[in-house]
Amino acid sequence: MKKVLQVTLGILTAIGGFVDIGDLVANALVGARFGMSLAWVVIVGVIGICLYAEMSGRVAAVTGRAVFDLVRERMGPRTALLNLVASNLVNLLTLAAEVAGVALALQLATSVSYLLFVPLVAFLVWFVIWRMPFEQMERMFGLAGLALLVFAVGLWQLGPDWGSLAHQAVHPSVRSGEGHPTYWYYAIALFGAAMTPYEVFFFSSGAVEEKWTKKDLNLERANVYIGFPLGGLLSLAIAATTAVVFLPRGIAVDHLSQVALPTVMALGKVGLAFLIVGFVAATFGAALETTLSSGYAVSQYLGWQWGKLVRPRDAARFHAVVLVSLILGVMLILTTLDPIKVTEYSLVFSAVALPLTYFPILVVANDPGYMKDKVNSGLSNALATGYLIVITVVALAAIPLMIATKAGA
Amino acid sequence: MAARVLDLTLHLLDRQVVDQDGGLVCNVDDVDFLVPDDGSPPYVVELLTGPAALGPRLGGLLGRWWVSAYQLLGQRHDREPDRIPYQLVTDVGSAVTVARTRAELGIHPGEDRAREYLVDRLPGAGHESG
Repeated sequence: MKKVLQVTLGILTAIGGFVDIGDLVANALVGARFGMSLAWVVIVGVIGICLYAEMSGRVAAVTGRAVFDLVRERMGPRTALLNLVASNLVNLLTLAAEVAGVALALQLATSVSYLLFVPLVAFLVWFVIWRMPFEQMERMFGLAGLALLVFAVGLWQLGPDWGSLAHQAVHPSVRSGEGHPTYWYYAIALFGAAMTPYEVFFFSSGAVEEKWTKKDLNLERANVYIGFPLGGLLSLAIAATTAVVFLPRGIAVDHLSQVALPTVMALGKVGLAFLIVGFVAATFGAALETTLSSGYAVSQYLGWQWGKLVRPRDAARFHAVVLVSLILGVMLILTTLDPIKVTEYSLVFSAVALPLTYFPILVVANDPGYMKDKVNSGLSNALATGYLIVITVVALAAIPLMIATKAGA
Repeated sequence: MAARVLDLTLHLLDRQVVDQDGGLVCNVDDVDFLVPDDGSPPYVVELLTGPAALGPRLGGLLGRWWVSAYQLLGQRHDREPDRIPYQLVTDVGSAVTVARTRAELGIHPGEDRAREYLVDRLPGAGHESG
């Protein structure tokens, strides 16, 4: 059982990265509009994040240096500052949306407007970061997030035509009525969601917080290879449920309650209960992940003491950044901006920041001065280089596609 | 530490400085080195840190703004970076280790202010959360 609990860092990172509020809605929306014809993007994304998260975790375990340390060392202070500003802007938008996401899930359960829950949720996020031990945090939210597996159960209960779903996935085609640019816009959004930079900020910093060393590399790999594919599986299950229920009826998805509907049709109230627990855990986990990531990235760029391992008064500037980020996020959401639109945009912006984050990881993972005998294998270098090219193309295409398709309208 | 050939950009610049207890101190924002007149190899004298060292490396308007913002926050009246003598350095690896504690180095006006005005005023600031 102890071994099982040790993979919760990977599970929390992946659930927060793959099925946060934006992804819950994005996957459902994509399923309803495009069926399973974008499933390949999720799989490409899972492999990419596995590769780079594994590298970042390995570097952190061997050297004790988390991702933003490497970004600054290898890209220099100017380029790293550009990355810091871009990533933290994305982080802030995502964090705002996640806090709203927890509140939306509570609205689903209580019918009380989500805006009333927002300050309470933000306080709880801060309180968890301030007081709860890292390991306990990761277990509680990672494991509770597994309630979302109810999507897979719901899909099975819906009794879909598996052959048709598989056909859509294996022979992807753009459906009539949808343009190619829109298809590719959503492909980028899903890819950006799979590879959001805050996942590696959080995972590598978490590896340092967990005090992983060279001896824990197997554990590190288990975290990556269990956590992220699980996140990808959940994404696919969500898309499949809406592909079964909404696609034939031509219904568009733009609200969290619609994401829940197919599962509730299949499993009734019990399904809804599991969903709400899962929604709250996943969005709360993502809120923790993004809030901490803001603090991690700024502190690592500037060389400050960071982390939950030391007393808050010994990492005062780190905790100040965490607190300020949360307050800014809450202010943003209380303007009644649509939280789901906020994450949709942030996913596309995060695609732009990707190369600046992933390139330094690849360089350092190959540096024997850091890694000694734990440098990358030839295979992972070949794959990672291929992904770097894809990431760069995606980064260049993201904003023009967003403008051309009016953000996928 | 015994004499060792270092590539300043690769081995020192932008590295994390760690104190003798493993605490994170600062980054190496710049390096002061001496080129002896007699033609012997140049050597590192001090590690420079803080916004007054980082600003010039960011360059241009942004760099000047970086230093000025720091002064405005009232942390310093001069534009001098903080300095760590290179004799204190015991190891240069994935981090630069120095043989002092963070408190002894005393280069944390920003940290002290964040602690004094914000963090220490919240309950539980002195307890580890684990």
